[in-house]
Amino acid sequence: MPPFDSEDQELIEGFLTETTELLEKLDDDLVALEKASDDPELLNRIFRSIHTVKGASSFLGFDLLVKVTHKTEDVLNRLRKGELAVNPEIMDVILEATDLVKVLVSDIKAGEIQEREIDGTIAKLLPLLSENVAAQAAAEPAPAATPEAAVAPDAAPSPDAAAAPSPESPAPPSPKQEVAPVAPQKPAGDAVAKKAPVPKPAEGKGEDLSDNSTVRVDVKRLDDLMNQVGELVLERNRMIQLNQDLQQGDAERLDFNEEFGKLTKRMNFVTSELQMQVLKMRMIPVDKVFKKFPRIVRSLARDLGKEVDLQIFGEETELDRSVVDEIGDPLIHLIRNAMDHGLETPDERVAAGKPRGGTLILAAVHEGNQIIISIKDDGRGIDTDRVGRKALEKGLVTEDQLAAMSQRELFDLIFLPGFSTKEKASDLSGRGVGMDVVKTNIKKLNGLIEIKSEKGLGSEFILRLPLTLAIIQSLLVEVEGEIYSIPLSSVLETLRVEQRMFHMVGGQEVLKLRESVLPLMRLQRKFNVQQRHENDDFCYVVVVGAADKRMGLVVTRLVGQQEVAIKSLGNYLANIPGIAGSTILGDGRVTLIVDPVGLIDDGESASGR
Amino acid sequence: MNDALVPVKSDESRDKLIQLVSFNLDQEEYGVDVLKVREIIRMPNVTRVPNTPHYVDGVINLRGKVIPIISMRKKFGLLEVENDKQTRIMVMDVEGELMGFIVDAVSEVIRISGSEIQPSPAVVASGIDQECIAGVINQAERLLVLLDLEKMFSGDERRLFASM
Repeated sequence: MPPFDSEDQELIEGFLTETTELLEKLDDDLVALEKASDDPELLNRIFRSIHTVKGASSFLGFDLLVKVTHKTEDVLNRLRKGELAVNPEIMDVILEATDLVKVLVSDIKAGEIQEREIDGTIAKLLPLLSENVAAQAAAEPAPAATPEAAVAPDAAPSPDAAAAPSPESPAPPSPKQEVAPVAPQKPAGDAVAKKAPVPKPAEGKGEDLSDNSTVRVDVKRLDDLMNQVGELVLERNRMIQLNQDLQQGDAERLDFNEEFGKLTKRMNFVTSELQMQVLKMRMIPVDKVFKKFPRIVRSLARDLGKEVDLQIFGEETELDRSVVDEIGDPLIHLIRNAMDHGLETPDERVAAGKPRGGTLILAAVHEGNQIIISIKDDGRGIDTDRVGRKALEKGLVTEDQLAAMSQRELFDLIFLPGFSTKEKASDLSGRGVGMDVVKTNIKKLNGLIEIKSEKGLGSEFILRLPLTLAIIQSLLVEVEGEIYSIPLSSVLETLRVEQRMFHMVGGQEVLKLRESVLPLMRLQRKFNVQQRHENDDFCYVVVVGAADKRMGLVVTRLVGQQEVAIKSLGNYLANIPGIAGSTILGDGRVTLIVDPVGLIDDGESASGR
Repeated sequence: MNDALVPVKSDESRDKLIQLVSFNLDQEEYGVDVLKVREIIRMPNVTRVPNTPHYVDGVINLRGKVIPIISMRKKFGLLEVENDKQTRIMVMDVEGELMGFIVDAVSEVIRISGSEIQPSPAVVASGIDQECIAGVINQAERLLVLLDLEKMFSGDERRLFASM
């Protein structure tokens, strides 16, 4: 289809926005429908969504889209009338059709409409429309449906294999490949091998659909912002006035001081409000990421033969777009991990005296300047003995190291690249990459990750993330006259200690802090700061944590806490070890922002781990 | 634009009029293309940045933007001197990024034609990379060394930064 002209373009953009939103909700609703199949309101909503998409696409002449949505609508209509009963196989097909619709919509969005292979999916929808299948499916649900489902996909490839080469001659193998991302949901009876590459591209497509380059802002928020800007203008005028008075010399000194003081206070107030407002606009609910998960969990559960009840809490919690964009992948890995390694199969669960279905709880909550996301399962928990043994086998740790490890450190082993407890890599896991990805991404966000686990009872992964990446709370410290800024999100505590409390262990300075041993790093040495003062007896230790590691940074003095805006150092100075960026303080001086994550990694490699 | 700085043989560039900002560094006079110079400022507070090459003096706040500052004396291996009233920072656009260069003094903007640029003699002031010298200008009494700063911060230099 040729590029659309500008008038059409407007219509199409409207269509895309609307359709994207509908489709995003549709996934959720469909998965919910499977659980509550007798909810007529839900079913009606799904029906309406598909119907709307169909109507709009036929108006705009997207024929492929119309075909798919039309058949899907028919099936849904039968469900609605009670001629068909919801069962996993039907849901699989409907979900597959929805995915196909998403692919088609993203094609339109990309501006190039490709000939997609849609007959395969439609062929799967068709049997559901014939009377006898309905009767059969309704009469004998789950177990008997398996052979029936096996027939459907078998039937599907043959027509398209026959049909594909003739109308779409270019590349015979390609249609088949194109079908793959469209069909993440092969019915249970289908060959397992086919599932392998499927989930990934489908997820990718889903993300493409949710556009992040434009923002929808609540009008209320926009009004608030305008109000704040109005205030700011008033204060500016006041400032100009004051300056004029001063220039003309008619300002009496005392009065001026007082007025200026007031102005400063108001300015301070208005700018912080303004900052909050703008920050809020950048915030989006974490739901944006969370809503993909019911779908993923559903398909994983089917693939793994497990029964899982996913519960989501706090999806309305808001955080910065930049963070939202980054946490999707780590969360998917953690969910996969929980479902594959954490939760047991129904039989194992029954044998262990637990309910057949496992529970997976995904929760988000604000805590101060952080957001906490937790993924909790009631599965078998982390078997530290097994983890230790595996790490040893794979040569990731030595026996001595292993013997000296605390429970916490043993948990942390699972984050090592290359670590896996699986004997064989499966489609889902076992390559030892996933948890490493989680750790790297969380670190990149200046986040912390914490594991709680009890053998036999389940595990919980807790992510602590900063709300935003643009403005951070920071702790200003002095290192022999130079000021550095440490992101407060990484600071766990600060201590004033006597230098003689430091010990040397294996060439590494450490501090005994309560029950644990804290490795230390002297910022003065790390940053080659010239020593100005005689060594003081006392110094300060800033305990920082990144992901799962802790370290103490030795500084001369604590200056205070300040909110700072992060400024990039530019390309030339982008990769200085231990420095994350810079910021400008109230007096106009540039101060470097310490990168605790980098320092901790550095410290680790220096101490030979 | 770059081409005009490099003494190319084509007639077009030979006759083209070029404006240069001339500055002093240890008794010598140098010139850079005026179009690359964004502004010339006095020495502000420089924040040292650890673990960088020795000629990176640090970073400054240029109206809310943080830009790196390079000491030309250190870069060229010249004797280091105290900053005085004449010391200036030339803020230049080096491949799309602003960088500041500390020089002894900035004197004037001069106009030359492309034909006045001669290839640099084999040995010029020691310590200066031959590569970043785009040519010399011999005008009556004065000798001006024409610098190409983009060359100075390309290749190895860039990799060095990147690998840090």
